[in-house]
Amino acid sequence: MPESLICAGCSLVCDDVTARRDGDKLCLEPECALGAAWLAERSHTLGDTPAATIAGDAVDLETAIDRAAQLLREARRPLVHGFAAATIEDARAAVTLADRVGAIVATRPPAQPWPGAPAFALRGSSTATLGEIRDRSELLIVWHEDPETTHPRLLNRLGFGQDGSPTHVDGLRTLIVIDDRDTATARRADVALDWPSDRDVEALAELFDRFDGVRHATIVYGPALAAGAGGQRRELALHELVRRLSHEHHVVTLSLPRAAGTRGADDVLAWQTGYAGVVDLARGHPQLLTATGPLVEHERIDLALCVEDDRHALPDGITTISLSSVPAPAGSLSSVLTRDGADVWINTAAAGVAAAGTLHRLDGVPLTLHPPLQSTAPTAAYVLTRLLQATDI
Amino acid sequence: MTEIRISGGAVHDPANDVDGEIRDLCLKDGKVVSDVGPGARRIDARGMVVMPGGVDIHAHIAGPKANLARKLSPDTRRADPLERSDLVRSGTGGLVPSTFATGYRYSLLGYTTVIEAAAPPLAARHVLAELRDTPMIDKAFLILMGNNQVLFELIRESAGAVSPQLRDAVAWWLAATGGYGVKLVNPGGVEVFKQSNGDVDGIDAQVPGYGVTPRQVLEAIGGAVHELGLPHPVHVHANDLGVPGNAATTLQTMEALSGRQAHLAHLQFHAYGGRPGGLPRSRAPQLLDYLADHKELTADVGQVMFGDAMTMTADGHVSAVLRDLDGGKWVNHDTEVETGCGIVPFTYKAGNYVHALQWGIGLELFLLGSDPWQVMLSTDHPNGGSFLSYPKLIRLLMDRAFRDDQLGRANQQAIKRTALLDGLDREYTLNEIAIITRAAPARRLGLEHKGQLGIGADADVTIYHDRPDREEMFSTPRYVIKAGELVVEEGDLRRVDDGLLLSSSAPFDGDIDRVLEPLFADRYTVSFEHYPVDDPALREPATIVRATP
Repeated sequence: MPESLICAGCSLVCDDVTARRDGDKLCLEPECALGAAWLAERSHTLGDTPAATIAGDAVDLETAIDRAAQLLREARRPLVHGFAAATIEDARAAVTLADRVGAIVATRPPAQPWPGAPAFALRGSSTATLGEIRDRSELLIVWHEDPETTHPRLLNRLGFGQDGSPTHVDGLRTLIVIDDRDTATARRADVALDWPSDRDVEALAELFDRFDGVRHATIVYGPALAAGAGGQRRELALHELVRRLSHEHHVVTLSLPRAAGTRGADDVLAWQTGYAGVVDLARGHPQLLTATGPLVEHERIDLALCVEDDRHALPDGITTISLSSVPAPAGSLSSVLTRDGADVWINTAAAGVAAAGTLHRLDGVPLTLHPPLQSTAPTAAYVLTRLLQATDI
Repeated sequence: MTEIRISGGAVHDPANDVDGEIRDLCLKDGKVVSDVGPGARRIDARGMVVMPGGVDIHAHIAGPKANLARKLSPDTRRADPLERSDLVRSGTGGLVPSTFATGYRYSLLGYTTVIEAAAPPLAARHVLAELRDTPMIDKAFLILMGNNQVLFELIRESAGAVSPQLRDAVAWWLAATGGYGVKLVNPGGVEVFKQSNGDVDGIDAQVPGYGVTPRQVLEAIGGAVHELGLPHPVHVHANDLGVPGNAATTLQTMEALSGRQAHLAHLQFHAYGGRPGGLPRSRAPQLLDYLADHKELTADVGQVMFGDAMTMTADGHVSAVLRDLDGGKWVNHDTEVETGCGIVPFTYKAGNYVHALQWGIGLELFLLGSDPWQVMLSTDHPNGGSFLSYPKLIRLLMDRAFRDDQLGRANQQAIKRTALLDGLDREYTLNEIAIITRAAPARRLGLEHKGQLGIGADADVTIYHDRPDREEMFSTPRYVIKAGELVVEEGDLRRVDDGLLLSSSAPFDGDIDRVLEPLFADRYTVSFEHYPVDDPALREPATIVRATP
């Protein structure tokens, strides 16, 4: 029996999906490799999965919460991070806990260098929801991203390609992909330009001269734009260019965060503290952190509470608490029990598959998840609220 | 529940014709009652002024627009931190405070109800989640419908008339989002901006591709809201905001809406004479004359206060104009099918002709008007200034000497073009302040139990020291009581209350789904099935105010 599903496999958060079982396999319609992998991982049940572990040993939930609360109380410089699969409810509970214990909250990878203060705060940006882009943009320019891999249904949902969604744009639409790699997206492009990633984004202005008469255009970018040295400057240059082009055209940008929970967590952090990105609550009030070095080193983090994320390997010496659903079959029970060496791991219900909640799509549109399965595991929001009670700070 | 007797204060309750009468006020179970027991807590209010809790009919405090403004302005917030305590969450202030700070600061100012005046229906979940994180105040939001392509289709089909389908669609949208009322922003104009960076030309030009005019949108949706009997009438941000000469458009808008209930938002921004591209003049007197003859219309002022502001509006074209004027930060965000959004930080300067004229026009609207029930206090927070500037605005209205001093500091070329130098000696009374800050907004919102202190009213009460410096007086209430509990005492929060979500509901024919579903499939990237907000954690608890056709 096909079941309506909202997919949290990537930040597109497609809500036009049905899942059906084909033998042992769960299939998604429309097809999406990323979505299918997400569903397979999150709907798989490992036998005898414990509710939680402490140093790899199975324990019950309450014991794990007590231990995690003790670690939080003892921490000098705690960090709350992750959020790849976190719902708005999870993020609200996480920032609440961080406020109480005086933690840093990061919605960006804490062990990697990053570009510092968000370019957005310096100049702003022009953006749009997916439907605006689908129904108005005659030109779609993808800057060094491969959404065919990272967001497999993006181009179709924006009405590009023969099997794309119907669009209200009259006439020709052009997909331009700028990349020096041979990517799946580049292969779909009407125009593929082999520009290096360090080329000045100002060069995009040439395209608007070449496509004279274009009224609406969208520039799609992602983590690659702001990565590495000069990242903030490149992002700033993009928004400056869009601002200038907006006198003659209606130009918007679309950022491609990878994970389904990232945009929403950043939104929650902003409304609860006033700042997005990385916020330090240690001094009793929010402070925006803009250092560019890896956070865990720069801030001498001694405890990291990871919320619904399994991507971040942290240096040795940092106590780790992880709240996450079991990523199977990619993982195995033994790997779960050691869980990247997490000092405390608590099994949570996977949002969208076995837990409800709200996600903010990459364009900010909020959607409520309707899980097709049930789980006895708690949500991360529940665990975080219990941790708040148990820390008693 | 606490029982409280507020004893010996001068009560200003204009909704019940009480003007400074010394009397006791009794509160029990969250309501005003006729008497309380001998064990009731007694608040000695002798020498103090007692009013209903403040009601802000038009502010921008929550949702994607406010949150983008927060992300845009870390610089304005660094110097304004809010420390966490055992009682309160930490946060930051600035022009767009974090959600918790917003709730606390409104409460510390004596306000107990606030309306978020412009929410994209598509973002209702986000708006609701932020409002759930905004404590202390009762709150509601108005949903944006003036540029909705689906509604354009229905209006075109009905040739601009109020069709049953349109009525049902409006009611459906309120039910789907948890909204309280309907807001029209630059009807048709936002769609034109998204099409061509331009604006619709007056209220009788067609919106390209849709065959509807702003006038039809005003009449059809305004009419639908009127016929549905929603507690708050259609709330209109008229076309041509900020454009010299726009008073003509505003008068046309009022004419189009006349005969049915309607509320005009931030009238100051729509009260300009002159010609587009030239210097504006004041047309406040003409608009006030029209209002005086049409009691079915009300307005809030949208007063400009000198200093920093954060312009944030669904009217993206206005923001693009400000972007080019200012050269500073700019955000644009287009929301499919429904609306747009523009944000530009802005500073109003006393020495600038246009800014001083805007300031003067706002004061004219307050001071030349004959009926305070029709013209209510707002700064269109944070567009004209922060809600924290309300006490200063109140002082400008109540204290002529202070006003004259401030007039002397503003651009005199501009002030000469207003009536403010014509011996305008009016000073608002406390009762008039109670009307424009509580009684009139509550009545206009259809909140029968708010903005008044009669038996059965909500026990939302603010008690002020009766100080000659009205700015000081209204900045720091002696006590604030919310839902019958003492929450603020002498500038300190004593208790944190979640506040209520207010929604409205009107019956509609369920068959409207069959009309809307194909239009949704054609226009939205969110499915019809997943559009309505059905999450109890967001929708409940809520106080539902039912429509009365």
